[in-house]
Amino acid sequence: MASATANGRAATRPRAVPLDRAVADYRLAPGLAVRIGILGIVALVVFGVLFLRLWALQVLSGTQYLRAAQNNQLRTMPMQAARGPIVDRNGVPLVTNVAGTSIRVWPSDLPKDGRYTELRRLARLVNVPFAQIAADLRKHARDPLAPVTVEDSARDDVVFYLSEHRDEFPGVEIARSYLRHYPYGSLGAQVVGAVGEVTQQQLDSSAGRAFRPGDEIGQSGIERAYDAYLRGQSGVAHLRVDSLGRPLSALQISQEPTPGYQLRLTLDVKLQQAAERALSFGIGAARNDGAWAANGGAIVALDPRDGSILALASSPTYSPSLYVGRKPARLLRPLLDQTAAAKANFPGLDRAIEGSYPPGSTFKPVTALAALEEHLISPYDTLPCQGQITIKGQTFKNWDPYVYEGMTMPVALAASCDTYFYQLGYKFWQLPPERGQPLQEWASRFGFGRTTGVDLPGEQAGLLPTIAWRHARYTAQNDPLHWQVDRLWKPGDSIQLAIGQKDLQVTPLQMARFYALIANGGRLVTPHIAEDVEQAGDGRTPAVVRRRFAPPAPQRVDVDSSALEVVRSGLDEATHGTIGTSEPIFGSFPYRIAGKTGTAEKTVFLPGQKTGLNLSQSWWCGYGPTDNPTIVVCALIENGGHGGTAAAPAALHVFEQYFGRQATQHGTVYSD
Amino acid sequence: MVEYASSRAAARARRAGRAEAASLARRLDWMLVGAVGALVLFGLWAISGITRHDVPGSPNYYVTRQAIFAAVGIVGAFAAILVDPAVYRRYHKAIYFGTIGLMVLVFLAGPLTRGSKRWIDLGFFRFQPSEFGKLLFVLALAGFLAERARRIGDPRTTLRTIGLATVPIFLVFVQPDLGTALVYGAALAAILFVAGTRWTQIALLGVGAVLVAVLMLWALPAIGQPVLKHYQQERLLHFGNPNADPGGATYNAHQSLLAVGAGGVHGRGVDNATQTNLDFLPEHATDFAFASLAEQRGFLGAAALLCLYLLVVWRGLRIVAIARDPYSAIVAGGIVVALLFQIFVNVGMTMGIAPITGIPLPFVSVGGSSMIANLVAMGVLLAVHARARALDRR
Repeated sequence: MASATANGRAATRPRAVPLDRAVADYRLAPGLAVRIGILGIVALVVFGVLFLRLWALQVLSGTQYLRAAQNNQLRTMPMQAARGPIVDRNGVPLVTNVAGTSIRVWPSDLPKDGRYTELRRLARLVNVPFAQIAADLRKHARDPLAPVTVEDSARDDVVFYLSEHRDEFPGVEIARSYLRHYPYGSLGAQVVGAVGEVTQQQLDSSAGRAFRPGDEIGQSGIERAYDAYLRGQSGVAHLRVDSLGRPLSALQISQEPTPGYQLRLTLDVKLQQAAERALSFGIGAARNDGAWAANGGAIVALDPRDGSILALASSPTYSPSLYVGRKPARLLRPLLDQTAAAKANFPGLDRAIEGSYPPGSTFKPVTALAALEEHLISPYDTLPCQGQITIKGQTFKNWDPYVYEGMTMPVALAASCDTYFYQLGYKFWQLPPERGQPLQEWASRFGFGRTTGVDLPGEQAGLLPTIAWRHARYTAQNDPLHWQVDRLWKPGDSIQLAIGQKDLQVTPLQMARFYALIANGGRLVTPHIAEDVEQAGDGRTPAVVRRRFAPPAPQRVDVDSSALEVVRSGLDEATHGTIGTSEPIFGSFPYRIAGKTGTAEKTVFLPGQKTGLNLSQSWWCGYGPTDNPTIVVCALIENGGHGGTAAAPAALHVFEQYFGRQATQHGTVYSD
Repeated sequence: MVEYASSRAAARARRAGRAEAASLARRLDWMLVGAVGALVLFGLWAISGITRHDVPGSPNYYVTRQAIFAAVGIVGAFAAILVDPAVYRRYHKAIYFGTIGLMVLVFLAGPLTRGSKRWIDLGFFRFQPSEFGKLLFVLALAGFLAERARRIGDPRTTLRTIGLATVPIFLVFVQPDLGTALVYGAALAAILFVAGTRWTQIALLGVGAVLVAVLMLWALPAIGQPVLKHYQQERLLHFGNPNADPGGATYNAHQSLLAVGAGGVHGRGVDNATQTNLDFLPEHATDFAFASLAEQRGFLGAAALLCLYLLVVWRGLRIVAIARDPYSAIVAGGIVVALLFQIFVNVGMTMGIAPITGIPLPFVSVGGSSMIANLVAMGVLLAVHARARALDRR
């Protein structure tokens, strides 16, 4: 009992955990106390730093970080705006939109490993070369947070497959898009132009601030000229995503896209169709007639009263839908690659405004007006018209070697007598230097040698040769052997210029503008193709005009009205007189048409040929009805031979459509 | 009679055991026990929020596992309280070689996970020796130093200690686990410091450490002999500028800053913590648990956790002061400083003031080895306290 108690007492002693005697005398040394104090201070500093940092992050700048964290998961998606449609003067749609499904890649969401395997698979699926996708991604390497469009118009089965296998294609997105649709196929292809993704160069340019990478903008033609109106305002949507880019919510639209405005053109679809048909008719007619190299051309139809372009045709042409979606590179090559384009005879070139040609006899009215204004001749003076004429020891031939009679100005215009105008040209050359170069001055007043100011991109100015131009053109550097001779303005220069040959270059549109001046009594119009922009109606409400494009008022050129009357009568006789160069074509037409043929010689390099050939460019320019002209037509058939065999019959087709009447007989003339 | 006597003896033994337990219970640092208990509970609560959306369909997957590990760890801690630290001192050589043996075993048996060998797969859980190694390393080296307590000023003692420490540190470093190797280094420094190494030697060691750092970060890479992996170096050098390369080297740091900052004062709650739930913040259950906690529970939650840590560190330092013998003091010092270092580096890296290294946050990060090892280490601290000198005199 006692021992039990003793044991119990012993158990209560702290010795239950025996102390180590060897260190029992261990005391807290002052040195250790200092060290523990130091450790304590270190600990306090550590926690102090942590607390302060935590305070700074969470309490002081918490809202800022909160916003950053929220942006982390919000992805901004551009929403494509529907591009405005383009309609003709009567509201007939020329370019519209259709809904498409595009396949886009978000570079930042592609897996780090195996992105190329995935892209190769995608390439096979959408049938786009992998190299092209890789190149596109490289192009966008600067901005990994913008999507790269792989295919604009994906086929349904591809879209279904991708939707079903979404997990296997991280970073690939299926989006709705608008595609340009061309109800009339290739009609007016060069005029309408194409839409394409904005290039890096455009983004870097000063105007590039309005664009975002991946935007589709107008790249040529009207689409480019009026892009600001057509493009609309793309919208912004937000999508919540996780760190792998997987969507967590439906698209939240913060800014609805604003569709582009509808653009109304002055073009008439029916007349444009007629003009394009007339071009191929003219080319065919030329070929049937032995002008085997005829392979292109242009037709311009203008309203001479205000310069509205009614038709603007160019051949050869192409289908603008080639630019929509991904088309095989082979099909696009003639439009993008210079050598392929040359082989296909430049289908992308709008010959009506970008092609420069010698005008030939269609230029004679310019010479006539200048000569009358400068009082070098009076209208009813006669000059001999003969097979050839020798001036200063040089012989110049007439197109008709058998003629021999004196001609007044209207007759010379009607018969297109070259020798009559050679003599006028020589008179210009003989003028003393202080009179300047009135032929060129008048030609310049009539709009030659400078752009017309048409509202289409890419217009050419042509070339109006002057003494100053010759001096600038031929120098010791670029013409070391003959520059002293070549830079002189010789009699032949004036003589050839009088019939629209040698160095003179004009565009069909410049020519049409000049004939409009004859038709409207001496006013120079500014050709234009856009009528207005409209907010499309929604079915119940009509379209509202947002902006009307008023072209600059026609400018009065100070040309004598009696001189104009002389030229007009000459042109009328050309289509109705017995000696008229296009009488067989227009003589029987119910509406009275006046106009002038032209056969201009030009050194041509046919596709695939190294040596140039001297081939005739077939021209016809004129207007109708004669008493109150409402339309000017200028037709050009490249290498088409005589003006009366190719261009004039082509122009007649346009008049037939315009007036809704057929000519009772069709003929051709072998005339200048 | 025999039965009677034996039953009396048994009762005596029971009483003795109860008395000893009662004595230990009286001598426990109840404030430390409370702080650690609160830390464990807080950690479980934090993890339950952080991992709520990690395993689809089973929101409590991680917190259940973590609770089991905590329970195991608490049992381990109680076992540690019962063991007199003198036992560790007696067997410090065996502990040392055992530690090295475990680490070598990792190289032989451990699977290669994401380019490193850190674990031994035990089926139900992945045993990470380097976590337990922190404690064993301290127990072993403290024993070596305590043996030479009277020759502590001799530079050879210091050099030998460092030489002994180099082997496990190197083994951890080549796993590669740079963060844990740094923790070992901090523990080594603390052991030498508490053991009473001369100030001049400590100053020299500091200079040496700086030289080693310069050598590893700059000099050797410059002559084409990189010691650190590229990512390790990038993180060490760029920690001050988390926005330098948000898509690449500093992605983690950047996202972590966003998470902490976005938490604000009150936190974004479990379901709105997008940085965590949408996986913008990588490793949010382990290395970046603090950032995740700060995002979900805000300044109030994160600061509460720091307060609990501060309480534990304070009690730990107090235990160093009242330890019964040099060995106990050194052990306590090593444990406390290693803990402090881990807290600073882990919490600091989530806030952009410490380099990013893969160190778990004690008592919070998901991971059995870390949880159990830390709880056992707390058990050793409590064991030292229970046998403390100051309490004896009272």
